[in-house]
Amino acid sequence: MNDKRSRLVSLRNPWFTTSVGATLALFLFSAFVGFIWLPSAQDDALFKGLLNAICGAAGIPRTWLSETNPPVAPKVPLSTVILTPEMLSGPGMRESVGRGATLALRCTMCHGARGVSAANTPNLAGQYSPSIYKELRDFQTGARTSAIMAPMVVGLSDQDLRDLSIYYASLPREPSPGADDASPALGIVATGSPMRNIAPCGSCHGSLANKLGAPWLSPQPRAYLKSQLEAFANGTRHNDVSGQMRNVARHMTQDEINASVDYYAEKR
Amino acid sequence: MVQASPADPHDSAALTARIEKRWALMVVSIVALLVAMVIFTGLHWAMMPPSRVETADPTTLHVSGEFVESNLGSSVEADGSVTVRMIGQQYSFTPQCIVVPAQTPITFRATSADVVHGMLITGTNINSMIEPGYISTFKTEFDKPGNHLMPCHEFCGVGHEAMWANVKVVDKGTFSKMAADTRRLTCDL
Repeated sequence: MNDKRSRLVSLRNPWFTTSVGATLALFLFSAFVGFIWLPSAQDDALFKGLLNAICGAAGIPRTWLSETNPPVAPKVPLSTVILTPEMLSGPGMRESVGRGATLALRCTMCHGARGVSAANTPNLAGQYSPSIYKELRDFQTGARTSAIMAPMVVGLSDQDLRDLSIYYASLPREPSPGADDASPALGIVATGSPMRNIAPCGSCHGSLANKLGAPWLSPQPRAYLKSQLEAFANGTRHNDVSGQMRNVARHMTQDEINASVDYYAEKR
Repeated sequence: MVQASPADPHDSAALTARIEKRWALMVVSIVALLVAMVIFTGLHWAMMPPSRVETADPTTLHVSGEFVESNLGSSVEADGSVTVRMIGQQYSFTPQCIVVPAQTPITFRATSADVVHGMLITGTNINSMIEPGYISTFKTEFDKPGNHLMPCHEFCGVGHEAMWANVKVVDKGTFSKMAADTRRLTCDL
């Protein structure tokens, strides 16, 4: 038995030499096709030459656009905030809340003693911390303009902004008057208008899903929501990353703007 | 079927060898057919069989580099070709309206700022994934002017159905007039 098996894997066994030889030949031919022939047939200088063809097909990262003119710099300051999902979590949150509460004394005049506003300024209690952090940074860099906010954030360090954001996120949200109302959400909020490039508000702002950096909207003062949505629509506010909010707002009709603002201002 | 005769065991060995050879031939033909199909589609059909891997940090696209907002859109290169840069993000493409000239070599450069998106230009064979961390580069050319819808074809979240862009192909003359006073061209409102 043992004797027979040793003779199976042997160069003198024609079945062995033929099948292994054919498989090897097939492998070499396929490698030639995949790594040399097909890449070389591409109309791209970076695939020409043996090494280029092999590296290109193997997926070695390289720069695939050589001839190009330099990037066009923005005419107005744009948001330069880098948000990552974990940036405002982890150890040290408790200390941040304490420091933030002290720093927040300067905010209470407009944003309320516990982050709930009585002055048509945004409610900050329970807001997502990355959203607060992003706006504060944008006020500092001038990507978002406000005659009131700009002087308030001068001199605050990056850690101060993080502490403030974590503090306000930790406060309880204002109880919403429509929270127990079981009536279905408004069309523009729940379904948007896909045929006109309008995603549902809730797909980023919290009721359906939350996108990093997008704020929780309910409840916020009506006048504030309306002015911001209109500023996005006409482009005077442009600190949304890569136009993600302007792309939506510019397609909204005045009726849709009013309806969505009413929804978030009064009813959840 | 041939009945194996117990009287002559060599007969059955020869029969097995014949069957083995037949099967080997069949399997080799199937593999050869598959390789031939790969070669044919690679040479004559597919737009980009080998990868063009290039990386980009999705969290800093808007801060610097070629995907900052002011650099998106169509730009005319020195050799007369047009480069189109775009970003896919939840839930829109930027720019939302892409304008390109007909009968001109076009290079698309696209990447994602958040999750996996896709782009498919209807009426053409242009179809690519747009993945965070990677830049999709491909070259194409449009024969004639026209409007094409460009939906996102990878489910990217609850607002996915609202994510699409327009690709407006105009004739060369119109394009050069449009491109005369701007370095990055879009047909956004």
